[in-house]
Amino acid sequence: MTGVGEVAAFWILATITVGSAVVVALVRDLVRAVVALVGSFLGVAGLFILLSAEFLAVVQVLIYAGAISILMVFAIALTPRSARDNAETAMRWLALALALAMVGLLIAVATVTEWGPQAKEGFQETASAIGEALLNRYVLPFEVASVLLLAAMLGAVVMVRED
Amino acid sequence: MVGEPLVINVGPQHPSTHGVFRLKLTLDGERILDCEMVMGYLHRSMEKLAEERTWTQNIPFTDRTDYLSAMTGNLAYCLAVEKLAGIPVPPRAHWIRTIMAELQRFASHCMAIGTFVNDCGAWHTPLLYMMREREKVLDLFELACGARLTTNYMRIGGVARDLPPEFLPRLRELVKELPQRIAEYEELLVENEIIVARARGIGVLSAEQAIAYSVSGPMLRGSGVAWDLRKANPYAAYEQVEFDIPVGVHGDCYDRFLVRLAEMRQSVRILEQALDMIPSGPVQTPVPLALRPPPGEAYGRIESPRGELGFYVVSDGGPSPFRFHIRSPSLINLTPLPEMVRGLTVPDAIITLGSIDIVVGEVDR
Amino acid sequence: MTLLDSWWDLRDLGHAVAAFLEWLGDRGVPSWLPYLVSTLVGLMALLLWALLSQLFFIWAERRLLARIQVRLGPNRAGPFGLLQPVADALKVLSKEMITPRGADKVLFWLAPIGVVVPAIVALGVIPFGQRMVLADLNVGLLFIVAVSSTATLFVFLAGWGSANKYSLLGAMRSVAMLISYEVVQVLALLAVAVFVGSIRLGDIVSWQGRYNTWLIFLQPLGLLGFLIASSVEVNRTPSDIAEAESEIVAGYHTEYGGIRWGMFQMAEYIAGFVVAATVAVLWLGGWTLWGLEEWVPGWLIFLIKLYGVFFLFIWLRGTLPRLRIDQLMGFAWKFLLPLMLLNVLLAGLEMVVWKETEAPAEVVLPIWAVGNIAIGVGLVVGWALLMGHLRPRNRPARSLLVREVGQIYYRPLEEV
Repeated sequence: MTGVGEVAAFWILATITVGSAVVVALVRDLVRAVVALVGSFLGVAGLFILLSAEFLAVVQVLIYAGAISILMVFAIALTPRSARDNAETAMRWLALALALAMVGLLIAVATVTEWGPQAKEGFQETASAIGEALLNRYVLPFEVASVLLLAAMLGAVVMVRED
Repeated sequence: MVGEPLVINVGPQHPSTHGVFRLKLTLDGERILDCEMVMGYLHRSMEKLAEERTWTQNIPFTDRTDYLSAMTGNLAYCLAVEKLAGIPVPPRAHWIRTIMAELQRFASHCMAIGTFVNDCGAWHTPLLYMMREREKVLDLFELACGARLTTNYMRIGGVARDLPPEFLPRLRELVKELPQRIAEYEELLVENEIIVARARGIGVLSAEQAIAYSVSGPMLRGSGVAWDLRKANPYAAYEQVEFDIPVGVHGDCYDRFLVRLAEMRQSVRILEQALDMIPSGPVQTPVPLALRPPPGEAYGRIESPRGELGFYVVSDGGPSPFRFHIRSPSLINLTPLPEMVRGLTVPDAIITLGSIDIVVGEVDR
Repeated sequence: MTLLDSWWDLRDLGHAVAAFLEWLGDRGVPSWLPYLVSTLVGLMALLLWALLSQLFFIWAERRLLARIQVRLGPNRAGPFGLLQPVADALKVLSKEMITPRGADKVLFWLAPIGVVVPAIVALGVIPFGQRMVLADLNVGLLFIVAVSSTATLFVFLAGWGSANKYSLLGAMRSVAMLISYEVVQVLALLAVAVFVGSIRLGDIVSWQGRYNTWLIFLQPLGLLGFLIASSVEVNRTPSDIAEAESEIVAGYHTEYGGIRWGMFQMAEYIAGFVVAATVAVLWLGGWTLWGLEEWVPGWLIFLIKLYGVFFLFIWLRGTLPRLRIDQLMGFAWKFLLPLMLLNVLLAGLEMVVWKETEAPAEVVLPIWAVGNIAIGVGLVVGWALLMGHLRPRNRPARSLLVREVGQIYYRPLEEV
């Protein structure tokens, strides 16, 4: 991080991301929780832009803020009214423990990892690099993921078919 | 997956109920599980009010039942009273009545088709095209009787006054123009891919059901039953004109729509003949203002644009009806609606309602 | 554009801004100031343009629809009724904003804002001229799609938060449709991206300028798919089922009034402009017009194209009835989606062939253009025939005419 602008942007975006995430956990109404989640997604997209990963940022908006959130509200809208609120369940403590473990892991990883040198030459296109990587080096995982998604789609179709 | 049924009120204030009428739809998603009709928002107690007024004073009421087809309302009531009191009608009056009834049918079908296509989602364009021609018909009404909508033109024993001299030439002009206009509507609507997709096979009413519900008018004919009171039980001058009865085959919304379009053509055909055949002479049999028909009852019926419009009148010899009942086609045509829309979606229900062509003033009276 | 690159060169208003920034730089201001200033100037210009265009198109739409419908349209306020949108706007501003009892107040308040913002943000990457673009992102195309897609959620929230069943139905409809047609839209754009080899909007325009062609000739099928998908996205007939007046009153914004309702209208118009701009940039050559842009301001050419595309939507609105939601969804998945996939495949094949043979563009592009138009027409007609859309009707579109009463001609409609 070089300039004042970047630092300020980082803290603003980080606040939005984490703050929205906290709201997601705290708010009772599920639809509102989804809205907060979208805020968090957008914050993450902003962080990506800050890291010059503009392609990832746009994809983050397109897929998470635009599509996944819709999927969630759809699921909520189609659930019976009684099961709609963000009620406290027996799993609360387990979830808390898991979340804490996750945070601990992330902090540990972040401190242990040797971060590479900062990009000095400024802005670089990442879209083509991602494309190259996906279709050359990682083509097998890429295809496996596609097949998995296809299987999921077929499964969904089979499940809702009326006969 | 079983969702909670959603109960939705279409109306009493809704863009597509054509007045104040309420449909209570029980939905699963968009699919209609049940449909309940709630009527009476426009009830004005006409049948009771009519018992307090003289026979002649009741004619304006008949404008206001089916306010899109005032002439035919007038005509049916006058026919009933003439039958009751045995009053003859001069031939010219018969022809004027025929002309007016057919013009009214044309105007009313304009509205019916226009609003039906509107219900299919067209943004008013076909409706306004048809309004253009309806306007010309209403101009003619204004010429003849001074009013455009609530005409109050027919009288017991004839019509209120003779046609002004410029009426027939203007009618002739209009009749020359109308076939092109109807061709225009047909070109715009009949083969329209979206209208066909929306209206075909939707809101099916079989001939059996139609008869069982005693449905009448274009709705009955749309279900494939060749029935038209103008031929089955001729009144006015209909015996002397030639015309065909358009009949649908499948009883869906699209057939009802086609039948109405074809009826517009037949109306023009009748008007053409009437223009050549109308005799001169008196237009009204003198009838005392305080008419007292002999005790008895009579039922006068005509083919209104919406179906069999009947007036059942009972006289006790007094100056006003003892009983005044309207058999309104809108109400009776509406009754099979729940059966027609069950299992369809909300948009289908809307166009089915539109294809029935109700006038709430006539449903509730 | 070498002759006149000074600030008063009206052919590209970007020059003026650049000159101003240079002037600022000469004064020795901090380096972030010109950046901030240029962003603000661009934003202001965009907002001003969007609002003025919207006002103009409210008037134009009403007048044009009126002409289509043999009416006169608003002609009282100002010359030719030009002040009508101003009067409308004042009316909308002064109306009471009602929040229905039982509505989710936060969501109800948030939705109109959330719908407008993506539309305006998407404007930011539209190149109005060579230098007249707020941010020529190298992922511009994807940016437009991504940002527009976020509006969907707020449309849903508007319907959900209104505590109204019509709104809820409208919201469900619109979300179901938007996610279906977004797929079609992205695939249509993908074919263009494959052809040009870039998703930067500026590159796409200059590609068309370089080869002196418009992508409409090379990608007609993609344009068809995109236009249809966009008509869904901007809620216009024949796909306005999310706010179908005759069925669900106003859909997701049934309960909105006053300026909140105005926000939805604004979002709809601006989203329409974004769509029209996308078409103009991607398929109609953006600000280029076969060399004429040297003489006529490029932004003027671009705006004319944009407004032309927008006029198409108005025209459609005045002409077509509305489809039912299942028909519209079926159309997306069964008709448009396969066509768009084939189109992407075709575009890819053509580019590979071009790269491999290294043939000159003057030879290849006309062949591809003719081929693509022929294939496009063939695919649309063929697929329609296959799906039964163009099948000759098994019943005449006329009712029977009979002379006698009493017969019954009813036949049950066999399953179509």
